[in-house]
Amino acid sequence: MKKIISLVLAAVLVAAMVAGCTKPEPTTNTTPAPTTTTPAPATETPAPAAEAPAAETPAPETTEPAPAAKPVELTVVTSYGGDDGNRVNYENAFKAYEAETGNTVLDASGTSNEEWKARIMADFETGAEPDVLFFFVGVDANKLIEGGKVVSVEEIRAKYPDYASNMKDETLPKSPADGKQYAIPVNGYWEGLFVNKKVLAAAGVEIPGPNTTWDQFMADCQKIADAGYIPIAASLNEVPHYWFEFTAFNHGNVAMHRNVPASSADANGAAWAAGLNDIKTMYEKGFFPPNTNTATDPETNVLMTDDSAAFMIDGSWKMGWFEENAEDISNFTVTYVPGMGERKSTDIIGGLSSGYYITRKAWDNPEKQAAAVAFVQAMTKDEVVNSFGATAITALKNGTTAPADASSLVQDALVMTKGASGVAEAAQDGLNPSARADLFGNVSNIVTGGMTAEAAIDQALAVTE
Amino acid sequence: MDSMLFRKKKPLFLFFTPALIFMSVFLYYPFIFNVINSVMSISGLGSAATGINDPWYVNYVNLFTDKIMLTALKNTFITMGATVVFQLGIALVLALLVDGIPKGAQVFRTVYFFPIVISATALGLLFNLIFLYDGGMINNMLKSFGMQELIDWKGESLYMVTMLTPVMWQYVGFYFVIIVTGLNNISSDIYEAAAIDGASGFKRIRYISLPLIYNVLCTCLILAITGALKVFDLPFVMMGTGAPLDKSWLTGTYMYHQAFSRQDVDYASAIAILIVVLGVIISQALNMLFKEKDY
Repeated sequence: MKKIISLVLAAVLVAAMVAGCTKPEPTTNTTPAPTTTTPAPATETPAPAAEAPAAETPAPETTEPAPAAKPVELTVVTSYGGDDGNRVNYENAFKAYEAETGNTVLDASGTSNEEWKARIMADFETGAEPDVLFFFVGVDANKLIEGGKVVSVEEIRAKYPDYASNMKDETLPKSPADGKQYAIPVNGYWEGLFVNKKVLAAAGVEIPGPNTTWDQFMADCQKIADAGYIPIAASLNEVPHYWFEFTAFNHGNVAMHRNVPASSADANGAAWAAGLNDIKTMYEKGFFPPNTNTATDPETNVLMTDDSAAFMIDGSWKMGWFEENAEDISNFTVTYVPGMGERKSTDIIGGLSSGYYITRKAWDNPEKQAAAVAFVQAMTKDEVVNSFGATAITALKNGTTAPADASSLVQDALVMTKGASGVAEAAQDGLNPSARADLFGNVSNIVTGGMTAEAAIDQALAVTE
Repeated sequence: MDSMLFRKKKPLFLFFTPALIFMSVFLYYPFIFNVINSVMSISGLGSAATGINDPWYVNYVNLFTDKIMLTALKNTFITMGATVVFQLGIALVLALLVDGIPKGAQVFRTVYFFPIVISATALGLLFNLIFLYDGGMINNMLKSFGMQELIDWKGESLYMVTMLTPVMWQYVGFYFVIIVTGLNNISSDIYEAAAIDGASGFKRIRYISLPLIYNVLCTCLILAITGALKVFDLPFVMMGTGAPLDKSWLTGTYMYHQAFSRQDVDYASAIAILIVVLGVIISQALNMLFKEKDY
C-alpha cells in the first residue's frame, strides 16, 4: 500500500512541476520597468533593400477584414503601459474594438525602455510572441524583420487591400533591415523644449521662440540661475539623451543629424563631441540641478511642476504627464530648442518611430488573422490617432486635428510642429542598445571631467552589435 | 512494514526524482548553459549566440581589466565587511540587551524582525524618499533646522552610506532573532552558578554567553557574508544606474546592468560565474575558519 502511495505522490509531484512549467498566454511581461523612460526612437533611414523576410504573398481574397467566425483572444503588447500619457486613450480604443467585434484583447503593455525591448525580443526567440505588437520601427526591430517574425504591409494588403488605407504610403516607416514597410504608426513623435512660464516671468526672461539663438538661451539660463531657479530640469544620470540630441544637432544640420559617425573624428563625430562638450559647459555653469548626476528622471521632472525649474527637453509622450501633474497647465508651454550654426531653431527632432506590427504567428493562425488586421485598423483610424494628441508629424492622409477640448499645451505643440522648418530623426536611434547605454551612461563622466567626449564616443562606437 | 519500505530503495528514488528534475531544469542546466554562454558571443537578451568569442576567454580577461567590475568587486567586499560589523554587531548587542530584560522580549523580537517581512523593493522606494535630494525626509528635517545647502545623499561622498544603511537595517532583525534564540538555549543554571561565583554582567557575557553561542554566531557569520555577496534588490532600486559616476555597482547589480541595459549577455554570464566562484571559495574558507565547537 505504501508503495502505491509513494508512487502516486511522486507522480503528482512530477505532474505539478510539469504543469508549473507550461506558459499560458499572454506571455509578454506586463510589469512596467522601474527606471528610465527611454524616448521612442525615430524612424530609420532605410537600408538598401535586402532579401525579403521569409513570407509568401498570397493572392487577394477580400477587401475588408473578414469578421472572425467566433470571438478570439488577441494578445497585444504595446509601450502604452505604466504611466504613459496615452495609456487612457489606448485603453479606450481597444475597449471600443472589443465592444465592436466581441473579441478580447489580452493587453500586456509595458513601459518602453531597453529592458522592455529585451523582454519582447526574448518572447519572440522563445515562440511566446504576442499577436499584435506596437514597437519601434528602427534598428530595434531588425531582428524581428530578419527573422520573418512580423508580416509586411505589402503581404497584408495582398489579402486585405484596405489595410491602413487612411495612411500616406510614402510616409509609412520603412525597416532599415530590408527597406520594406511593416508597421502602421499611430502618431509621430517630436522632441521640444517644455517651459515653465511662471519661473520665466519671475526671472524676467522671455519664452524662447523661433528666432531665439543658443547664445541668447544661454544668457537666459544664466539670468534664471541668478534669480535662484534651476534653469534646466534634467537628469544627466538617467536621461541625458534629449540634450545630447539637440546640442549635437546644433553642430550639424537636418540632413546629417541622423547619420551615425564612424569615429569622433568625422563630421558627425565632431558634432556629437561638440554637443557633449556644450552639455559639459552648461553643467559647469550650474544650469542643471545640483544632483543631476545622481537624480532620477522623475525627480527632475517634478522640478518643473514644483515651479523650481524653467526648461526641460522631452518628447510628445510627456504631454500627458504635464496635463496630469501640472496644477495649471496654462503655466506651461512647449517651444523650439534654440539653435545655432546651420541648424535653425525651428528644425526639430521628430518622426514616426513606432507602429503596430502583426506577427507571423497571428497571421498564420486562421482564427486570429482577420481579428489582428481589424485590431490594427481600429487602433490607427483617424479618430483614434487624433485622440492620441495632435501633431503635424503624422502619416494620416487627412492630417491630425486637435480635439476641441485640447489643453493649451497641446495647442502649443501643434503650432510648434506645424511651424517646423525641418525634421530630423533622433541620432541615438542609429546606435544599438549596447552602444546607446555606453554613450549615455558616460555623460556624467564627461561633464565631471572623468572622460573626454571623444573617448566616450569612440568607446560607444566600438561596441559591436 | 516500515522496515520493508526502507529496505526497498526504489520508492526513495521515486521521491528524489521530482526534486532532482526540478534542480536539473532550474539550477544545473541554466548554470551549465551560463558557463557556455560566457565564452560565446551573444548580443542581446534572448538572442542566439553568433559564435565563440575570439579568444574564447576574453570575458574572463575583461573581468580583471574592466575598472567598473573592479569597483563592483571592491564594493561587494566592503558590503561583506559592513555586514559583519553592522548587521551582526548590532544584532548581537541588541540580542544581549534583550536577553537581559525579564519582560517584553517578544515585543522587541517582533519589532526588530519586522523589516524582514517588507519587500526589498518597497524598502528601496521608502529609503529613496528618505534620502531624496529635493523634498526628502532627512533633507527636509535639516532644512527645518536651518540648513541652507541640501545634501546629495547619493553623491560621491555619501553614496556607500546611503546604499548600505537600508541593507544593514533590513537584516539586523534576522540575525537578532537567531542570536536571541541561541541565548535562550543557555541554561539558567549556568548563569545562576556564575552569579554565586560573583560574575558581573560583562563577565557573564564574556565568559558564558558568547562562548556558548559561538556556533550560532558562526552560522550567522557565514550567512551574512555569503548573503552580502549576492545582495541585489535594495541597491538596485536605490542605485540602479551605478550612480554616482559608476561608483556604486555591486557584482549583482553590475551583472544585471550588463545583461539587461547593455545586453552584453556573454559578459554578464562571465560575471555570474565569478559570483558563483567567489561564493563557493568564500563559504568554504569560512567553514574552515569557523568550525563548530562542542561544549
